Amino acid sequence: MALIQAILDGLMIGGVYAVISIGLTLVFGVMGIVNFAQAEFLMLGMFVAYYAWAWLGLDPLLAAPLAFVVVFILGAAMQRLLIRRVLKAPDVAQIFLTVGLLIVLENAALLMFGSGFRSVSTPYQTASLKIGQLFISVPYLLAFVMSVASGLALWLFMRASWFGKAMRATAQDPMAARLMGIDADRMHMLAFGLGVGLTAFGGAVILPYLTASPTVGGQFVVLMFTVVVLGGLGSVAGAVAGGLAVGIIQSVSALAFPIQLQNLVLFVVFIGVLAFRPEGLLGGSK
Amino acid sequence: MIRSVSSSVSWPRLALIAAVLAFAIVLPLGLDPRGYAIRILCLALLFGAMAQAWNIVGGLANQMSLGHAAFFGIGAYTSTLLLVHVGLSPWLGLIAGSLLGGVAAFAISLPTMRLKGHYFALATLAFGEVMRVIGNSWGGLTGGPVGISVPFSQPSLAMFQFKETRPYYWIMLAALVLVTLVFVAIQRSRLGYRLRAIKENVDAAEVIGVDTTRTKIIAAVISGALTAALGTFYAQFQYFFDPDTVFGVASVSVRIAMIAIVGGIGTWIGPILGALFIIPMEELANQVFSAEAAGLSQLVFGALLVVVILVEPRGFVAMGSRLKRRFAGRASS
Repeated sequence: MALIQAILDGLMIGGVYAVISIGLTLVFGVMGIVNFAQAEFLMLGMFVAYYAWAWLGLDPLLAAPLAFVVVFILGAAMQRLLIRRVLKAPDVAQIFLTVGLLIVLENAALLMFGSGFRSVSTPYQTASLKIGQLFISVPYLLAFVMSVASGLALWLFMRASWFGKAMRATAQDPMAARLMGIDADRMHMLAFGLGVGLTAFGGAVILPYLTASPTVGGQFVVLMFTVVVLGGLGSVAGAVAGGLAVGIIQSVSALAFPIQLQNLVLFVVFIGVLAFRPEGLLGGSK
Repeated sequence: MIRSVSSSVSWPRLALIAAVLAFAIVLPLGLDPRGYAIRILCLALLFGAMAQAWNIVGGLANQMSLGHAAFFGIGAYTSTLLLVHVGLSPWLGLIAGSLLGGVAAFAISLPTMRLKGHYFALATLAFGEVMRVIGNSWGGLTGGPVGISVPFSQPSLAMFQFKETRPYYWIMLAALVLVTLVFVAIQRSRLGYRLRAIKENVDAAEVIGVDTTRTKIIAAVISGALTAALGTFYAQFQYFFDPDTVFGVASVSVRIAMIAIVGGIGTWIGPILGALFIIPMEELANQVFSAEAAGLSQLVFGALLVVVILVEPRGFVAMGSRLKRRFAGRASS
């Protein structure tokens, strides 16, 4: 029973992990950049939702679209001003530009918001559902549902809209896309904005059960990379599978190990996958 | 693009290096022996040496390690724990730490040596984080998040403890010179040529018969062992540290890579210039803004990294030669 409960819990947090990681894989797929600062956008999403709650009394789940929009704009601007300049640069420039961005964002947040931990209170915070012998925590369930909904929205956008199709075309062959009249620069901006915006959305929906702080991103960095590497860097479907897998690994390993060592299990999985199947467990051999 | 390395030694240049070194040796005589300035210089020399050790894999082989904090922390903990529990001199602890650092570098190289670019950076980042988690959770050995203090003993060279800062300065300077000599020696050796072949094109290097796996592992082990040795220097200099500091991504892994990049990646002088610029600048920012704004100096540090990457990812050295060319062009026109 404990195992089934752990798997269920893992699925709930795994859905969130999937959504916060999709952006990382999307940006890599479209422009070949690994954004080391991705987790900082999750932190920004949490703060947008926190202030929407503190100032406007808005529930974090309702503030999530707002977090998406704010961070989308910020991300698109950053892509235009900074990321665009290193698209063709050597690895060292690509890696350390986003690492620098990570440091800037974390410390800008420290300056603006202070180093304290902030949490919201919602009416459903401690509620849980009981199904047979299984319990589902309501805030986790709501975060999961919101994540699934935003993931589906992205999927629809990528399938059905002109922008989505153009973006996928740009990812497949930037040159051919350009010849077809697609503005690749704009697609990159859109992809980056969408990618970090979705992560911010995920940050907002977990605020009911997690406290916001400028350094919260640190908890998520390796986790997000594990998710996308498990699923194959660049694959959105892979990120979903990877997110669920990581959630389950985490909560099942909690049955056997103390809390600090859960992350260790995750890192070992991460390094193992990178070493033996860098294209991801689901990815084909490329 | 590959410069001929053997031709780069010229007598005027050697004389200049000797003069700068002589100045560096007598410099602390003119500074307050227990003052702030000399402490900053010590840290700059130490971090310069670390960046130089990073440069062996990061610069010569173009393997962007984000996990060098792992080796640094292993060195700091090994010598300190041996001192605390066995009373062993930190110098012997340093040897033990370097051995362990080398072993750790070997262990992490095995699964990651085939990875390139972003993937290598990610794997090494995770390795550093693994060490940080172990350091924090294995409280019985490391003291956990509370940190660990180096016990005081009678100040002496044998115990690597001094009353004044000057001896530390000279030791750090010696370390920087030594690591730089190791870097230059590697750069000019067959190993260096192989590493550069890997940097230019791994597949081509394989084709012409370079055992790329072996080459990368050897470089990683040397780099890891040196970084671990410098961990002992840090422990003996600061007397106190915790897992988040010595195994930190921003505090160590990124900082040393950044020093090498800002100065000039792959060159022997780059890490030295980078350290002499970044460490004092960071301290200055800390001092100026410390009380009212935690994070501001780190913000400056990150912004600087972004600016340098955008302006000239090959650092000061490349900027210098670009300026030189511009002036030379203007003079001749």
